[in-house]
Amino acid sequence: MSMGKLALQNFKSSFKNYLALILSLGFTVLIFLNFQYLVYSDALTILGQQNAEYSEILVQVVSVVLVCFIFFFLWYSTNVFLTKRKKEIGIYIFMGLTNQKIGRLYMMESMMTGGTALALGIGAGILTTRLFQMILMALSGIAADIQFHFVLQPILITAAVYLAIYFLFVLKGYVSIVRSSVLDMVSANRKNEYVQQKNWILMGKAIAGTGILASGYYMATKDGGQEVMGNVMIAVILVIIGIYLLFDGLLPVLFQKLAKNKRFLYQKERTLWINNVIFRMKKNYRTYAMVCILMLCSVTALATGFAMNERYENIQHFRNTYTYQLLGSQPDLDRQITPLIEKENPIEYSTRAEILMLDSGQDASESYQKIYGLLSYSQIRELAGLANLKCDIEEPADDEVISVSHLYLLSLMTNRNHVNVTLDGKEYHQTAEINEPYLGYLQEDMEYYLVNDRVFQMLLPKGQVLYTYNYRITDPLNYKASLDELDALTNGNPDVYTGRIAIDPENKGDEWIKVAYSVCVFMFLVFVMASGSILFMKLYNDAFEEKERYGVLQKLGYQRNKLRKAISRELAFAYVLPFAIMTLSSYFSIHALEKMMNTSLLILNMVSVAIILLFFLLCYLLSVSMYQKNAGLKKSS
Amino acid sequence: MSETKVAEIKNLVKDYGTRGFQTRVLKGIDLKINRNDFTAIMGPSGSGKTTLLNILSSIDKPTQGSVILDGKDITRISNRELSNLRRDKIGFIFQDYNLLDTMTLQDNIALPLSLNGVSSKICLEKTLELAETFGLTQHLKKYPYQLSGGQKQRGATCRALITDPEIIFADEPTGALDSKSSRDLLECLRLVNDQQKATILMVTHDAFCASYAKDVYILSDGKIQCRLSRGLTRKEFYDRIIDMQSSMGGDFS
Ligand SMILES: Nc1ncnc2c1ncn2[C@@H]1O[C@H](COP(=O)(O)OP(=O)(O)O)[C@@H](O)[C@H]1O
Ligand SMILES: [Mg+2]
Repeated sequence: MSMGKLALQNFKSSFKNYLALILSLGFTVLIFLNFQYLVYSDALTILGQQNAEYSEILVQVVSVVLVCFIFFFLWYSTNVFLTKRKKEIGIYIFMGLTNQKIGRLYMMESMMTGGTALALGIGAGILTTRLFQMILMALSGIAADIQFHFVLQPILITAAVYLAIYFLFVLKGYVSIVRSSVLDMVSANRKNEYVQQKNWILMGKAIAGTGILASGYYMATKDGGQEVMGNVMIAVILVIIGIYLLFDGLLPVLFQKLAKNKRFLYQKERTLWINNVIFRMKKNYRTYAMVCILMLCSVTALATGFAMNERYENIQHFRNTYTYQLLGSQPDLDRQITPLIEKENPIEYSTRAEILMLDSGQDASESYQKIYGLLSYSQIRELAGLANLKCDIEEPADDEVISVSHLYLLSLMTNRNHVNVTLDGKEYHQTAEINEPYLGYLQEDMEYYLVNDRVFQMLLPKGQVLYTYNYRITDPLNYKASLDELDALTNGNPDVYTGRIAIDPENKGDEWIKVAYSVCVFMFLVFVMASGSILFMKLYNDAFEEKERYGVLQKLGYQRNKLRKAISRELAFAYVLPFAIMTLSSYFSIHALEKMMNTSLLILNMVSVAIILLFFLLCYLLSVSMYQKNAGLKKSS
Repeated sequence: MSETKVAEIKNLVKDYGTRGFQTRVLKGIDLKINRNDFTAIMGPSGSGKTTLLNILSSIDKPTQGSVILDGKDITRISNRELSNLRRDKIGFIFQDYNLLDTMTLQDNIALPLSLNGVSSKICLEKTLELAETFGLTQHLKKYPYQLSGGQKQRGATCRALITDPEIIFADEPTGALDSKSSRDLLECLRLVNDQQKATILMVTHDAFCASYAKDVYILSDGKIQCRLSRGLTRKEFYDRIIDMQSSMGGDFS
């Protein structure tokens, strides 16, 4: 029989065993293809030029993340299956096949597995693109009529990326087979992964892991200014290393300690499952660490998307505080403006504010002179009352200012208090920052500070005063009605009027954020599914190894119930441990995000963790049933 | 003397294969085993020894006949009862040891007791005691892959003994061992038979192995052909078995 035929035969006969692998590989292909399709089909163009560009960049970023993910996923899954394969095809060594030939056999079989997965993934991917895009748009709240177009490019890119990575790991497997000794090959399964390191080294690792993890959390939640971005990057790296070390050290030390304590071990079914965990220690801790990190990423991604979307909505709301805003140099222009607007629309509320434009003065530290807008306390109180805005701030002291800022989409600085501001050569202490839209859209363009009335009066002669007249009409959608008259007014008196702002409530300026939000939701689901399937796949393989052992136990007279109990415990542990550490970690990562975005994400955190819990529960139940079947504890009729 | 009877089989018949293409492997076997017996069933390869043992130990079902173990006819009881019977009344020694390679020798030996819910203190004490008897004390912390075949089989024997079973079934226990390890193991089996009054039923194709037993039944052609009982020394017994074997001819190996 030729090698090709042999490989094909092997592939056919073990197809069922690789179904889990093929399906999960196919699934990753499907997801990747769908994202590529987003870029190359015209689905995003309906968002308009600017938004489509941003969205495309976003999708490309996600693609890069997905490529990294595929890389690790393939690495993991090929590795898991290599051990199993090694033992199965290792038998051929007794038939006189050389390592090289067995390696080639492995390559051929793997390429068949990978090829099937790719074909399935691309096939299913093409079928689902339209559905995917529709869901994405629906999630984003964007009305769109999505058509299916066949585009070749994304398929080629997907196939190329996938095959390149896959081939790399198959090649790695080949090298590993060629290099292994006969004994290795035949007993590939029987290797015990008991960690022989000294206890204190393991303890050290666990403690270092915990320490690094804690400092990661600290870095993430630490207050800071410009350096926050760097801190977050450091935190991500620290958390990943910390989780890995924690599992690397804690799991062996804990379980090997437990296994040594016979008084503990010889109770219930512990001796079975605790020893099983030790038996596959390396594989276990790596898997758990990976799953834990993956889930942490997914929860954080979801929270980021959610927070950004929420922020976007707030910004929209912020901008829509007023429908029209006119700037002028005289204090009584409302007598001209109000009747003009009232002709077309009833006014809901209107305000007027006096802004003192002032430069920072002679300050050696600043290389350029900044212009600030000053607002007086009593004026803002009055304005807030008229426009129904919050104003629970205390009047600043003579040497204090309050920054009147606006919302940022992604604010990285978590500490803006206790900074000093120089106004006309004198330092003022900033005591707080508020984001109430007292000046509406205007507030986004300049830095404004609130000072007490005395300071305002004192500084009045040093700067230039500007008046803003703000109107909110009852039907903002009808904003166009007064535009012509207002323009005629401002253009006719250029020395009095310095500007006009009108807000379109349906402005689609930053729609891409909504797309980003739904992409985040998708990433969350993908990562959660991936973590579930990684655990499932691992257990699927473990179960085959256990078959013989459970056979022996049954011969010895142990009822299936009892053995099933041991299995449920072992599997429950496999799901609970990474889940628990992820839940704890997610609290900190979400908290960091909360601080940056200045919002509460606790509920979102709980919901996303609950979703993962539910999904894991499902995976767990499936795994238990599958495990029992693969381990021969269920009659497969 | 009925209270000393541990197992009894009457007219045991076993067919393999589907209707019309059946081969009769066991053609009517009667056997009685009393407490503290050390019985060997000897026969050439393919004579149905494993089949017989599997039926006796309730892993397989007979075509005809009855098997009475611990006063119950095991062909008539539920699977659950069978499991419990195997767990509580029977100790197994397999040719290929069947130790669980996920755990240390100590855990392997303690396994039956710990799974039966016996207090861990007693598990521990009994394990250490048995390991001492079988000269395994230094090897308790090792995993099966770190042990020699002889050590593994002695470990498996400890595991079989730890529940104080009514009877121990051993299928070619020395089949995978070298002669020195075989001798050590058989000495151990004899020791537990002598001192701890264990009842042992062993099947083997090897006359040397059989000569450690008190009684030897020769199985051939699906039937018990004859019974030999031990005399003064093992050596003399061995010679008698060999004589019998050669007088019967056939393909003993
Ligand atoms: N499950 C089975 N199905 C069909 N025939 C079997 C089965 N098990 C054993 N046999 C046959 O029964 C005979 C006795 O087998 P066995 O009891 O294993 O012999 P021994 O252990 O004495 O070498 C052999 O001819 C064997 O081929
Ligand atoms: Mg046999």
